[in-house]
Amino acid sequence: MILNHFQMMVVFALGVSLAFAFLSKSRMSDRVRYGVWAFLAFLVVAIGIGWLMYPFSH
Amino acid sequence: MEETNIESPAKSNPAMAILAGMLGWLVPGLGHLVLRRWSKALVYFVAVGMLAVVGLLARGDVFSFNSTDALDKLGFFADAGNGIFYFLSGMINTAGPDVSHASGDYGTRLIATAGVLNFLCVLEAVQIALGRGTERPVG
Repeated sequence: MILNHFQMMVVFALGVSLAFAFLSKSRMSDRVRYGVWAFLAFLVVAIGIGWLMYPFSH
Repeated sequence: MEETNIESPAKSNPAMAILAGMLGWLVPGLGHLVLRRWSKALVYFVAVGMLAVVGLLARGDVFSFNSTDALDKLGFFADAGNGIFYFLSGMINTAGPDVSHASGDYGTRLIATAGVLNFLCVLEAVQIALGRGTERPVG
């Protein structure tokens, strides 16, 4: 199975945010809110750092 | 759906804590299953299983204890947290590891992440059985 960087990052963010949400919150509404927030934060931060590093790759 | 039982009195059960810890390590989520935390058991199995299986199918590297490199040994302890997925890694990824591609390199990280996540789940199962933290043992 060959996945590109973004697909791997999505799998990582999905698994970790799902587990974190259930580990840290007890109410279902809090879990959903925290899980979505963590998932999006993983993606936004990773893409942001990627763009910050972009000038150094050329 | 809500299974948190905060109101019930804390009843510490060390034998159940050991059993839940061992089962939770062997099969992610099984520790919570014996503690009757159904949704947590399912979510932990899916989350850890997804990371481990995708990591293995992406031909990530699984470290062995016999490695002489200190970082590889650290990687072994992270990978060992996967329990059954660690033991079945050779069957899931029959082609063997290939970290010459980015996909395989990411796969290695996914497998280690899954193992460490499962250790966190095991610790939570032990805490629940011991009546510590925010949750209390059922019954």
